[in-house]
Amino acid sequence: MTDANHGSQEQSNTDTTGLDDAPLTAYESSLPGFLGTIDNGISRIESLMLAAGVLLMAANTMSNVVGRFVFQSSIFFSEELNRILIILITFAGISYAARHGRHIRMSAIFDAMPPKLRKVMMIVISLVTAVFMFGLAWYALQYLMTQAGRGRVLPALQIPVWMPLVWVPIGFFMTGLQYFLTAVKNMIEKDIYLSTNVLEGYDDNEQEI
Amino acid sequence: MALTIFSIMIVLLLLGFPMMIPLIVGAFVGFFMLFNGFDQMETMIQQMMAGIRPASLIAVPMFIFAADIMTRGQSAGRLIDMVMSFVGHMKGGLAVSTAAACTMFGAVSGSTQATVVAIGSPLRPRMLKAGYKDSFILALIVNSSDIAFLIPPSIGMIIYGVVSNTSIAELFIAGIGPGLLILLLFSIYSVIYAIRHNVPTEEKTTWGQRARAVQKALWPLGFPAIIIGGIYGGIFSPTEAAAACVLYALLLETVVFRSLNWHGVYETAKSTGLITAVVFILVGAGAAFSWVISFAQIPQTILGSIGIDEMGSIGVLFVISIAFFIGCMFVDPIVVILVLVPIFAPVVKSVGLDPVLVGTVITLQVAIGSATPPFGCDIFTAIAVFKRPYIEVVRGTPPFILMLLSVSVALIFFPQIALFLRDLAFAK
Amino acid sequence: DTWRYAFEEAMDEVQGKYAQKFKEVIEANSDHEIQLFPYGTLGESADIMEQAQAGILQFVDQSPGFTGALIPEAQVFFVPYLLPDNEEELFEFFRTSKAVNEMFPKLYAEQGLELLTMFPEGEVGITTQEPISSPEDFDQVKVRVMTNPLLVESYKAFGATPTPLPWGEVYGALQTGIIQGQENPTFYILSNKLYEVSEHLTYIGHNNFTTAVMANQDFYQGLSDADKEVVQKATDEAFEYILEYQKGQTQASIDGIKEAKPDYTITVLEDEKRQPFRDAAAQVEEAFIEMTGDSGKGLLEQFKADLEAVKK
Ligand code: NA
Ligand code: NA
Repeated sequence: MTDANHGSQEQSNTDTTGLDDAPLTAYESSLPGFLGTIDNGISRIESLMLAAGVLLMAANTMSNVVGRFVFQSSIFFSEELNRILIILITFAGISYAARHGRHIRMSAIFDAMPPKLRKVMMIVISLVTAVFMFGLAWYALQYLMTQAGRGRVLPALQIPVWMPLVWVPIGFFMTGLQYFLTAVKNMIEKDIYLSTNVLEGYDDNEQEI
Repeated sequence: MALTIFSIMIVLLLLGFPMMIPLIVGAFVGFFMLFNGFDQMETMIQQMMAGIRPASLIAVPMFIFAADIMTRGQSAGRLIDMVMSFVGHMKGGLAVSTAAACTMFGAVSGSTQATVVAIGSPLRPRMLKAGYKDSFILALIVNSSDIAFLIPPSIGMIIYGVVSNTSIAELFIAGIGPGLLILLLFSIYSVIYAIRHNVPTEEKTTWGQRARAVQKALWPLGFPAIIIGGIYGGIFSPTEAAAACVLYALLLETVVFRSLNWHGVYETAKSTGLITAVVFILVGAGAAFSWVISFAQIPQTILGSIGIDEMGSIGVLFVISIAFFIGCMFVDPIVVILVLVPIFAPVVKSVGLDPVLVGTVITLQVAIGSATPPFGCDIFTAIAVFKRPYIEVVRGTPPFILMLLSVSVALIFFPQIALFLRDLAFAK
Repeated sequence: DTWRYAFEEAMDEVQGKYAQKFKEVIEANSDHEIQLFPYGTLGESADIMEQAQAGILQFVDQSPGFTGALIPEAQVFFVPYLLPDNEEELFEFFRTSKAVNEMFPKLYAEQGLELLTMFPEGEVGITTQEPISSPEDFDQVKVRVMTNPLLVESYKAFGATPTPLPWGEVYGALQTGIIQGQENPTFYILSNKLYEVSEHLTYIGHNNFTTAVMANQDFYQGLSDADKEVVQKATDEAFEYILEYQKGQTQASIDGIKEAKPDYTITVLEDEKRQPFRDAAAQVEEAFIEMTGDSGKGLLEQFKADLEAVKK
């Protein structure tokens, strides 16, 4: 771990030992004062939704098996509930991933650029990504309102179709915000940031043994 | 239009944009061009939702979760110790075991992404320790996982069977031959690799040591029992087996081995959610992009200009292979099958090709395409799970693609690779 | 113009046959071109329906069963033993029914859709591993159903254990034995190879799978009178074509299954053995009325009146 070099800053992609995600707990907003408190709060809500979503999905799927075998009756809303949970996980997760610089990218050419150009590119990439995320947030909101207007309900759960979609525009918006803040951070700070909290660069000391 | 979109996507990809952006921009530009403005962008959102909705995808987060718990705890280690006690002394033994485990797990679970996680995450650290290069390990895991497409149950074959009116049971059997042939080639390559790079072997273990290793792995051996016994025994669907593994893993690691506390479980669930999100947003964006390609009838336009009707059966098989290979490089395999199979159906019939052979050829191309850059779900999953850069995940791919392509060519010239077992089973 | 038409089945299944005929008539009688999008190429049933509402697609085929979330009354087609099993009566019902031709178009119009036609796709059969001749035979048998409350209610009433399962998992689940049965029209059992993973096909006469073709309403209203006429002509010709096509179709599908699997048992349950199922199904009608209120009740009454009128 190279965390020590950067205080609470994470180093991206440092880990070659699989799924151990210890750094994820260490999110500290880089926003000042009150805004920072809100940002930390949102991050905590996102991580709670991620964990709860996954745990509920496992519980729901298993309950259905137990119901089918022990009580000879399936849970009819099981599939719908999983669909709702996967939306929740995906859209809480994309902004959480943006915070931690975990979105997948192909950085081979980028990494070969000189640092000055990399910094400019990082600002451009962050801004363009933010713009598209805000755009999708807007259209997701439109889509949600269209669904609400049609009054469709999920056949088994009998809840309106638009309800589970609420997290979609929020998720896109929060992701856009993270990328926007990353652009700002790159403009004011000297180093190059992958996200507001993550410095760029791969740690090479563990690979290619 | 297609050319404009593909060019933009490749440029954005190479410049280092987050992978979702090339896909989203590709879809966005497509919607803009198709409908002369922003009026129909809601359908883009609809298709992103449609992409992450299929019930079979639920198996992915569930297997990630189970694998994550097993790897953090002791289950995975004990299972691997057991395997190592039998193959550790052989050159390339661990690599061959990894390939075989990927094939077997993929065959049963039906999900290539789940395989990358479930087999790859515990075995990769062990292979690194054993002295294999990461680029080789990652390529081996991703490509072996894709053999899952060919070995039943295979959702790709079911869909092909329905669209082309072909026996699914025959397709299932026909896939086994090429699947095992690929596994054999990968195994040979692994052994050659281990010899050439002089990967050290462990000392040969005694039968007593092996018995002890098996004994230590008794509890974790419940996992293959749940997955194989549960699915073939008609107790679980693959998705449910994944959830059952989660439950069993939680039980083992928190109660039996006491290697994980509830805080650890929470952290594991969170990291599973994160990996799921990073991959699924790409699946969603890919679905929106696929919709554009399908709606604009781009494949029909391109294929219409080739003049496939003039070719013989070998020529037709080659065109089909190339079309599916290219299609799956960019677009979700299921959509590729749904869109392309009906287009080729008339010519397949007119040259008198066996639809089972065609289905096997197509499924093989789908498998290759999913493991081939630039876009591929299994590549994305490997990046998200192993946290390695894109370029490193695909660096070791070329030899594997070469092997897969030679199997493709062999299959075209020697259809018996696929049809032998089928003819035997159905007495044709 | 290029008009786009999406449906829920493959090209050579019933909806695809209808769509191809529709396309043929339109293109022969006008300068318009029709592009056909079979199952899955633009999304699932609910997706293509939304795309038709948004005006991206001009025409869409969605079965009323899937429309239930949007138009609850459409689920009337899931009430068992409502439609006649006599082919001539059935066809005449779809031609003349006031419920189908006058009441439903109003309900669809509220959703921005012009209902062009409804037609039957074939009698629904049930595939199982053991023979079925009474509700007792359904005991402990898990039958896969779509997630629809009325279908669930029906199979409970028949004595089976209704089990929801995504369509993609059905073939595998029948093979491994997670479920033992499922229901579908005969051509679909043939084309989806469900006979490969079951032993018996039984017709208890409880339903005939119905589907509906719609146009986007703004698009339709904006057409010139001449174009509207062409669309109506195509609708009507394709309708008569598909009824004709169906006459031999169930038998052809049965022959196809028999050829592929000679020892497969196909049983048409005789009338007196159907009675217990018929009796059990009464509660499903009540459930329908409970779900849809006065509007559904009115529709159901009209439905029955229309059926009475075509009885021979
Ligand atoms: Na498989
Ligand atoms: Na690919």
